[in-house]
Amino acid sequence: MNNPIIMNKYSIERTLGNEVKPYNYDEFVKNFKVNIINLSETDMEFDLIGVDVALANSLRRVIISEVPSMAIEKVHIYQNTSYVLDEILAHRLGLIPLKADPRQFKMKEDENSEPNEHDSLVYDMKIKCTKKDLDALAHKQYISFPGMILFLSNILIYINDEQLTFIVYSKHIKWSPLGNQKDIFTEKSVGMINDDILIAKLRPGQEIELKMYAVKGIPKDHAKFQSVCTAWYRMMPNIKLLDDIKGNDALLLQSCFPKGVIGLKSYKGVLVAHVEDCRKENSSRNVFRYKQFDNKILLSKIPDHFIFTIESIGAMEPSSIFFEAINIIIKKVNNALEIALNQTEV
Amino acid sequence: MSTENENPDDAPKKALIYICGACQAENEMKPKDPIRCRECGYRIMYKKRTKRLVVFSAR
Amino acid sequence: MVEVLRDKEFLVREYLETRGLYSHHINSFNAFIDCELKKIVQQNHAVRSDADPNFYLHFKNVTVGHPQVDDGFNVTRNVTPQECRLRDLTYCAPIYVDIEYVKSGMKYLRKGFIIGRLPIMLRSNRCCLYQKSDAELAKMKECIYDSGGYFIVKGTEKVILMQEQPAKNKILVEKDSNGVPTVQVMSSTVDKKSKTNIIFKKNLIYVCHNALEENIPFVVFMKALGVCSDQLILQMVGTEFAIMNQMYPCFLECSKLNIFTQKQALRFIGDRIKKMGFSSEDYDNRVITEVHDFLSTVILAHIPVTNTNYHMKAIYTSVMVRRLIFSLSNPDLFDSKDYYGNKCLDLPGSFLSLLFDDTFKRFIFELKSVADKNIPKVKATPFDIIKYIRTDTITNALVFAIQTGNWSIKRFRMERHGVTQVLTRLSYLSAIGMMTRVNSQFEKSRKVSGPRSLQPSQFGMLCPSDTPEGEACGLIKNISLLAHVTTESEDDDAVLKLALNLGVEPVGLFSVEELHEEYMYLIIFNGNIIGSTNKCIEFVNKFRICRRKGMFSKFISIYISERHKCIYINSGDGRLCRPYIVVENGQPLLTNAHIDNLKRGYCTFQDFIDESLIEFIDVDEENNSLIAYCEEKIVPETTHMEIAPFSILGICASVIPYPHHNQSPRNTYQCAMGKQAIGTIALNYLHRIDTLQYNLWYTHIPMVHSKAVPMINFDKLPAGQNATIAVMSYSGYDIEDAIILNKASVDRGFGRGGTFRNSKCFLRHYPNQMMDSIQGPIIDNATKKPIYKHRALDNDGIAAIGQPVFDKQVTINKATPKTVTVEDVGGDRGFKETPMYYKGYDPSYVDKVMITSNSDCFLIKENFRQPRRPEIGDKFSSRHGQKGVVGLIVNQEDMPFNEVGICPDLIMNPHGFPSRMTVGKLIELLAGKAGLLEGKFQDGSAFGGATVADISDELHKHNYNYLGKDVLYCGIDGRPMEAYIYSGPVFYQRLKHMVADKIHARSRGPRVLLTRQPTEGRSKDGGLRMGEMERDCLIAYGASMLIIERLMLSSDVVEMDVCKLCGLFSYSGWCHMCQKSNSVCRIKMPYACKLLFQELQAMSIVPKISLKKYCD
Repeated sequence: MNNPIIMNKYSIERTLGNEVKPYNYDEFVKNFKVNIINLSETDMEFDLIGVDVALANSLRRVIISEVPSMAIEKVHIYQNTSYVLDEILAHRLGLIPLKADPRQFKMKEDENSEPNEHDSLVYDMKIKCTKKDLDALAHKQYISFPGMILFLSNILIYINDEQLTFIVYSKHIKWSPLGNQKDIFTEKSVGMINDDILIAKLRPGQEIELKMYAVKGIPKDHAKFQSVCTAWYRMMPNIKLLDDIKGNDALLLQSCFPKGVIGLKSYKGVLVAHVEDCRKENSSRNVFRYKQFDNKILLSKIPDHFIFTIESIGAMEPSSIFFEAINIIIKKVNNALEIALNQTEV
Repeated sequence: MSTENENPDDAPKKALIYICGACQAENEMKPKDPIRCRECGYRIMYKKRTKRLVVFSAR
Repeated sequence: MVEVLRDKEFLVREYLETRGLYSHHINSFNAFIDCELKKIVQQNHAVRSDADPNFYLHFKNVTVGHPQVDDGFNVTRNVTPQECRLRDLTYCAPIYVDIEYVKSGMKYLRKGFIIGRLPIMLRSNRCCLYQKSDAELAKMKECIYDSGGYFIVKGTEKVILMQEQPAKNKILVEKDSNGVPTVQVMSSTVDKKSKTNIIFKKNLIYVCHNALEENIPFVVFMKALGVCSDQLILQMVGTEFAIMNQMYPCFLECSKLNIFTQKQALRFIGDRIKKMGFSSEDYDNRVITEVHDFLSTVILAHIPVTNTNYHMKAIYTSVMVRRLIFSLSNPDLFDSKDYYGNKCLDLPGSFLSLLFDDTFKRFIFELKSVADKNIPKVKATPFDIIKYIRTDTITNALVFAIQTGNWSIKRFRMERHGVTQVLTRLSYLSAIGMMTRVNSQFEKSRKVSGPRSLQPSQFGMLCPSDTPEGEACGLIKNISLLAHVTTESEDDDAVLKLALNLGVEPVGLFSVEELHEEYMYLIIFNGNIIGSTNKCIEFVNKFRICRRKGMFSKFISIYISERHKCIYINSGDGRLCRPYIVVENGQPLLTNAHIDNLKRGYCTFQDFIDESLIEFIDVDEENNSLIAYCEEKIVPETTHMEIAPFSILGICASVIPYPHHNQSPRNTYQCAMGKQAIGTIALNYLHRIDTLQYNLWYTHIPMVHSKAVPMINFDKLPAGQNATIAVMSYSGYDIEDAIILNKASVDRGFGRGGTFRNSKCFLRHYPNQMMDSIQGPIIDNATKKPIYKHRALDNDGIAAIGQPVFDKQVTINKATPKTVTVEDVGGDRGFKETPMYYKGYDPSYVDKVMITSNSDCFLIKENFRQPRRPEIGDKFSSRHGQKGVVGLIVNQEDMPFNEVGICPDLIMNPHGFPSRMTVGKLIELLAGKAGLLEGKFQDGSAFGGATVADISDELHKHNYNYLGKDVLYCGIDGRPMEAYIYSGPVFYQRLKHMVADKIHARSRGPRVLLTRQPTEGRSKDGGLRMGEMERDCLIAYGASMLIIERLMLSSDVVEMDVCKLCGLFSYSGWCHMCQKSNSVCRIKMPYACKLLFQELQAMSIVPKISLKKYCD
């Protein structure tokens, strides 16, 4: 498992010996490690060490395609006289991330069944742009840029008349509880994650009135059900300097990598390069641009060390997404085992 | 065929609202009315959208 | 050292902004209204009657008003173009004249009398959009980026395309189709067009003309022109040895014909003029007058003749012959028809003036015949001509011509079709691309290379890339960004006077021999010899100085032709020219200070032209100029410098990034494809109700665009999206240019678009006071809901806004009265249903419903929209002629990803590159990637743009691989891929060809009535044809039963009775021929075959069928 993957100038050498070896539980436990590098409310970066690439990849695939989340699925449009066409509006609304925790909901069994408190969330939006709203907005602008009016009074009129639009943001979408949802959830726990997502712009007299039904779904079905912005990994890079690199070459070498990868030390007034932090290396391979580094540097990747990143959209903590994904994998494995066992029995 | 179709002119029909293409004024119009805005005399009218439900999949 | 001018492209921008991209159309229309129209009316201003010499009607002072619409009851109102589009009206303005006429012996004067309506070009100086601000245009629901330059006729937008034609009044030496050396002149004046040839045949020289039955020997022709002395003729042509050698047999022939005097020559010609049937009395004199008439107005019509003084014509003819003879010994002297100086462009203005001239003459003729007919009649009221002036004559002729594109002008025997075309609003680019199109008169089917190939003289005038493929290749061209088409100049007299003042001596002052001296140059002004000079260079220089000083129009060109020993001065319309920076003494006159002033708005581009820092040079004058490509290339002899090299391209080619790195046909392909790319067609697209309109929901400004892109406003109305692509092979569903899409990208809105389609319906009034009516939906009694067919309808019987409509649902429930004629007023007052249906596999949504009334009926227009998500088989293309269909849509988890987690939106197979050599696309990707990291748009202008080296450094700076190749991990197995993958953003266009519009299958369905075979075509739900080649395959395979099944059983099988004795068809088991029933057999045969036999029988041909047992 330890043969590094070597990055040459024109290709990656996927050296032999990285195939799955006969499974050894004790060895796996001994080698397996998870180091959390960075954890915030939405982002998590952790090292997955000692696992096969297949496992890391299935984790990534499951997060991207099978960890469920809530998203608006049906939009009932009662009125829409805005310039945004109905189907565009519906599509935009579908992509708005919801705060609702999917674990508290069931998958809808029948697509056409009546929504109930266990499988659906209902949202409302009813907005009408009136001249009054716009005047208020214009007034606000007047306060923030009074000079403009001093210079050219007709600009205000112009703005007032032609340019000012009422902007509909996601904050205008209001949750409306179904059944006993009122007791379990709050607007904050199932509402919008971001309240500044642009939905439409309205001119005086235009209005939008709609009802939205959010359901639980998996991203395989539609990307709006993704609980992550994205989740991915990269293999831990490794840099080996095969020769001393000094002076200007050392500076040049430093510039070939992101900041902090190559450090410089002064030996007797001559700068000598050394590898400081491999982790920050990002496979840009710009060292190959310069002839003087030929055969002096070995870039490689460690095949069983994955730097894994999960960027949650905010409905679930990234760690929860991780565990959800693991659970799904376990379920899949169990399923597969069951089938395999059943078959051997037959 | 219902009676409505045989004698369309006398059928009780709800007049629908049309919006003037120039001044956005709402005009109630019945069949055979001349098409002309009562406010500005413009001759293009658009049908007003009613609050009839349309369901869209957000996909 | 020459100072390098910064931001020269700003000049181009300013030029295009101030003049408009399509100024040639609008300028020529303005010129037509302001000058030509007045000239035409002035030339034919009077109506007189043979019946009464005192009667007259004079037209004076013609003007054109602003577009109006007749709202009925004689109420007129100003109208906007958008209203015309929506209401299917014609955007036209009244033509006012002041008239003076005689009524019962008294003189009357009336001002502002309307004689007809003229369709008005949008954005011309009569259009209501002229010089309006953006806000005002928006109020009129007009797109501020719309080009104008087209007409609106009955609601459709029509463009009069520019037409390329051979230049008029030029002497061209050529070989005709039989290889005979010919010198040809196409003469054209306001009221005469003729073609004169002088040919060299069997060592003799002849003059030919259509009006002559036979060729006239040149010497005879000269004698007819009054040059009787052989010596004088020879001196006129030239006394060089070569000429004398060639002329000798000509003189010999003339003397053989016994022609020595002018009269003899005239009579000789008179005998050969077509269609002369004079009576014998006074035959001689009448022939002579006829020939005089022929010589002065028909042959070489553009040379004016006064009082049968043919001296100028004689000199002109001898110059023609001189060129012909010189060309015989020196083939280099042959002219090329394809040289662009020998072409001119006909603009809408000239087309309209031709048409108006013709219809106005007809209008006057009609009035005259009315007067002739009515004046002799004695009536109670005196004859009042005003009552007989009908505005329809002119209006209908103009509207009809623009609507159909049929230009027939009887006077010139001109019968042209397809002059106008419907403005294609597929995309913004297709609409504005149409305004720069140049159509050629050549036969499309002819396989000639000359007129199709790119001529060096087209450089900078016509786009080298933008031409269609296939039969119209090279015949349809597009003019370049900076090219300008001249309009008729008003300064001809001034130029003539100036030329004389500058030392041009009239030809008459010379002895004819002196004209051809080595140092003498002929001055030819618009095809007419006006004189000669011996100080050629000096004259031309002075003339140019005068032009730069603004003494006459800047568009008048002058150039010296050393080959012809001529100085040509041209002021005519339809010449292509182009602005250049003037260079004097190795220094461009335009400096950075000027450009800075322009940027600050202290001056305009026009100022530079007025000050002659920038000068327009036409195709001819380019031959006298040394034009530097850039500052470094300036040498002491340089006269001009290019403003910006990218301006040699046309509008469509300007959109391509790095076109100079692409193989040239790829740019041509993109020019054709850019017009099919869906995007936002205009800012007012939601207000338009077109028959078909495509739009893309989320358009992007391309990451890499050229300097010309903002100038043509492609960044405000783009047609495409920046897709992150990876150049790699994936899954095998990407062969043959197919592309792979990321499903998540599609879910999030990549390539999403939709169509708008309209349906139209008229509610008519009928003579019996009945009218079409609209009926409410039929309610199902059981459910109390409208029946399926009427589900989309509102109570008023018209579809409700926002509702989905499915196949076969009614959108307008119209009913027509059963009787409509006046005869049966008391007849059936009932209605029959004539509803409008929606047709289509996929449902649409009702976008808007418009109702309006025209003069005689109500008009209802509905607009339906249909969302279109990209699917397998939809067509996409980059901006480098690389089109491909979607081969597979892949889930995101299966897509490769890079070290920062980015998945491509689109995967393209690398095999698309080696054979296509679209290096521009590779650079676009690289530049786009650097642009993303820098947070700025990149420049990919033609012959410029960011260099690969700079881009590489930029990528390096941001710690991306300098070659643009990333490590990608396979989405399926998770391992890093062996190869580094070239990936980054590329601007992709979604093309209008979509599977949803083409998908078709049928099992059973409609058949053609006549042959009983399945119908053809998707629109008629037709069958899929088993054609000849498919049949051949089955024959080769020996699958005879399958052939029977496909060709007969599944098609038009019919069972017929055939009599085996007589071989004719029997009916109902009884042979009428043999009067028997036991000889009748029943066979299956194709209905088409049965039909053929019966038709043959009807023509008294009897096909007989002989039957045999299958086993025998």
